[in-house]
Amino acid sequence: MEAIWLYQFRLIVIGDSTVGKSCLIRRFTEGRFAQVSDPTVGVDFFSRLVEIEPGKRIKLQIWDTAGQERFRSITRAYYRNSVGGLLLFDITNRRSFQNVHDWLEEARSHVQPHSIVFLLVGHKCDLEAQRQVSRQEAEKLAGAYGMRYVETSARDAINVEHAFTELTREIFALVRSGDITIQEGWEGVKSGLVPNVVHSSEEVTKSDRRCLC
Amino acid sequence: MASTVATPMSLPSSSAPLSPSPPGLSPSTPGLSPSTPGQLSPDELELLAKLEEQNRLLETDSKSLRSMNGSRRNSGSSLVSSSSASSNLSHLEEDIWIMWGRIVNEWEEVRKKKDKLVKDLVRKGIPHHFRAIVWQLLCNAQNMPIKDQYSELLKMTSPCEKLIRRDIARTYPEHDFFKEDSLGQEVLFNVMKAYSLVDREVGYCQGSAFIVGLLLMQMPEEEAFCVFVKLMQEYRLRELFKPSMAELGLCMYQFESMIQEHLPELHMHFQAQSFHTSMYASSWFLTIFLTSFPLPVATRIFDIFMSEGLEIVFRVGLAILQMNQAELIQLDMEGMLQHFQRVVPHQFDSGPDKVIQSAYQVKYNAKKMKKLEKEYTTIKTKEMEEQVEIKRLRTENRLLKQRIDTLEKESASLADRLIQGQVTRAQEAEENYLVKRELATVKQQSEEATVQLEQALKTISKLQDQPHAKGVPRYSEEAMLQLERELVQARLKEAESQCALKEMQDKILDIEKRNTSLPDDTNVVRLQEELIGVKIREAEALTGLKELRHQVHDLEDHWQRHLARTSGRWKDTPKKSAVAELQDELMTVRLREAEAQAELRETRQRMLELETQNQIHSNQLRRAEQESRCLTERVQTLTTQNKDLHSQLQEIKRRQAEIECKSKEEVMAVRLREADNIAAMAELQQHISELEIQKEEGKVQGQLNHTDSSQYIRELQEQIVELRQEICCLKGQRGMSNQSTFDGINLVNHFGNLESYHSSDEDRSRDPSLQEVPSPDQRGGPGRIRLRPNLPDTDSDEDEGEEELRLTVPPTANHMSTTV
Repeated sequence: MEAIWLYQFRLIVIGDSTVGKSCLIRRFTEGRFAQVSDPTVGVDFFSRLVEIEPGKRIKLQIWDTAGQERFRSITRAYYRNSVGGLLLFDITNRRSFQNVHDWLEEARSHVQPHSIVFLLVGHKCDLEAQRQVSRQEAEKLAGAYGMRYVETSARDAINVEHAFTELTREIFALVRSGDITIQEGWEGVKSGLVPNVVHSSEEVTKSDRRCLC
Repeated sequence: MASTVATPMSLPSSSAPLSPSPPGLSPSTPGLSPSTPGQLSPDELELLAKLEEQNRLLETDSKSLRSMNGSRRNSGSSLVSSSSASSNLSHLEEDIWIMWGRIVNEWEEVRKKKDKLVKDLVRKGIPHHFRAIVWQLLCNAQNMPIKDQYSELLKMTSPCEKLIRRDIARTYPEHDFFKEDSLGQEVLFNVMKAYSLVDREVGYCQGSAFIVGLLLMQMPEEEAFCVFVKLMQEYRLRELFKPSMAELGLCMYQFESMIQEHLPELHMHFQAQSFHTSMYASSWFLTIFLTSFPLPVATRIFDIFMSEGLEIVFRVGLAILQMNQAELIQLDMEGMLQHFQRVVPHQFDSGPDKVIQSAYQVKYNAKKMKKLEKEYTTIKTKEMEEQVEIKRLRTENRLLKQRIDTLEKESASLADRLIQGQVTRAQEAEENYLVKRELATVKQQSEEATVQLEQALKTISKLQDQPHAKGVPRYSEEAMLQLERELVQARLKEAESQCALKEMQDKILDIEKRNTSLPDDTNVVRLQEELIGVKIREAEALTGLKELRHQVHDLEDHWQRHLARTSGRWKDTPKKSAVAELQDELMTVRLREAEAQAELRETRQRMLELETQNQIHSNQLRRAEQESRCLTERVQTLTTQNKDLHSQLQEIKRRQAEIECKSKEEVMAVRLREADNIAAMAELQQHISELEIQKEEGKVQGQLNHTDSSQYIRELQEQIVELRQEICCLKGQRGMSNQSTFDGINLVNHFGNLESYHSSDEDRSRDPSLQEVPSPDQRGGPGRIRLRPNLPDTDSDEDEGEEELRLTVPPTANHMSTTV
């Protein structure tokens, strides 16, 4: 059956190697946690629907990227067509937190002329005992860059849904207010396959019929 | 255990008919060989066909393969000799093994002569036992010097260690050999670390661990390390894994061009969906399909990669696309991505032969690849340049935007000012209008005023004309009466003035009285001033009186003339006229009387004036007399003082004369004494010369008589000493006496040249007065210096100077200077 959604947002997940990008996305899209997963070589792709309000669904296309710096030559091509991004760091790895600024710079220099709505994600929050980055300083940094901050754990499924829906809502608000517009030749935001679906249930059925034809 | 990994498959052209073999057959069962059609074509051909059959059977069961992989390592490097373990294998397998054994043993030769055969064999799969050695041979990784460094490298620490360690657990995590904390993880870490130390530029790149992991499944770590080094160096892998990953971009470009050439429709679809090659193909190149396909399939492809290089990745990649074209073209981007994620990896679980076969049907044009490489590099350099340009333009843009902002601000402020200016101009215009209106009214008013003025002037001139016309005839009785009245008034005024005059005279008298009663000298000046002031007032009054008199004269004249003129009219009444005439005469007489009286008063006043002057003069005289008396007194006292002074002066003069006489006498006495001294000196000198002569004689005698002479000389010397002492004493006396003697010289000196003492020598020679003084002229004599043994033998001039200096302070010099 054809999924019905209002908009399609393309997101990119970035951050240092082994901060848990793939695991977080897998948890979100597949609902499971793999203790170990292959390092991402190049880019990987995932997608899922989220319902931000009753009856309003958004389709998320998520690009998973390789964290190692030399892969940036491949991954930087993916910023341009992304409307949102999750910038991950590992709360048990201070270095990954220090690199947040570099990642933002990298993204900003390659996203032009568009811009990306970022969410700062402190990952692996289940490992509280090994924490090296305090919530306060992470929030402070996020504030400095105009981002929101969420702490997640893919293993314990903490805040994973929240992180993605929060970012989606933020982008949705910007799309509604007209700050972000759908543009030809830009894949960041696309109108849903059945744009009228929200307004009345009749149209939903109509469109369903059409699709069946 | 069983250990053949699949090997060859169909032959290029005439592949044997492949009937699907029943599943479930274990690889170890050799029962396949009898079932294969025993066509006796050339040996190798037959062998290959058989192999292919079995191979397929083997590869259908990936589980069994995994277990094989796990155990594989134990066999290690003794692959060649391990054929004994496979005694239960079919003879077909045995044949293949024997052949591979032969190839391995005679590698160099086979490689040279039968390269094509080897390639074909590799394409069909290298038997598992031979993989380790064949891979090493294929990449020529045997006997590498770097192998010896390996153990050393393990002792070192690499900057990438942390990153490697993190990825180790993520490499083949489901494989037994690389289970957690297994030996496999350790050796994998070792090799990765060793390589990162050997090649600092590449260091460690994610993805490469999969290749090393595969190598480690086949061979011990040292060998795997060597093969990996070779692969990196000679199989383009190093370029792929470099930090810039430029080679990967090139591969993508080349691959995309291949798609465009061979699968144009699919390429169009990809473009339409903006489905980029890197989305699915980057891992194909970076891990040679190791992360894309199950290991058995990937290993087969890796066999070919070892013998033919990266070309196989292009070929297999294109084959995959070709096989999936129909499905892909139906899907959107997301669908395609999911297809590549889910469908493609398991497409060849039944065996890679199909895909390898189609891969070799792909036309791979090496020349074109080269051309593409060149194209790509030019594109890249262009891109780089463009990026630089873009950066530059961006910064420029930013600057320009800033400028625009500032200019906009400026223009806004200018607009504001403009508006303000316009407002003020409007206001000014309004004011201007008002002013003009005012001006117009003012002009009107002024015109009216000029008109009125003209009218006024006209009326004035008219009015001026009227009195002239009337004036002349009126001059008659009216005027006469007016004149009479005036006359009476004038007389009254005169009487008044006379009264005032009298008062004034009284006042003057009063003042004079006061003046005489107050003869005090101090008040005189003030009184005189007052007097002068009063006189001035009086003079003014007199002049006023004179004027009045003058006026009265005038009036009388008028009166006379009037009488003369009017006399004619009153001729008819002679009586009346006679009375009038008498009256007139009376009047004139009276007037004259008044005049006379005034004159009298005047003269009196003058007299008084003169009297006061006289008094003043007498006063002055008195004062002068007093002054003269005082002066005469002073003169007398001064003359007495003068007399006293004169007497004193005379006394002083007398004393001076006396002192002069005394000094003269003294000088004479000193001169006499000196003359005596000089005489004595001359005597003594004579005596000395005599003694010297005697001494000379003594010496002569001493030469004759030795014993006496020395004694005699001593005596003589003693005598000389005594004489010298005497002379000294005399000298001393002379020095004492010189003090007074040289006073004169000194004084003369002062007289001639008051300033300098030191030039006395010259002065003496010039001044004739000095010649008279008996100075010690003899000082120039030769004996004189010798006669003064106590004194240091210094220059005579200096001596003189010293003496002079000593003598310049004579005690009596002050009063002597006047007399000389």
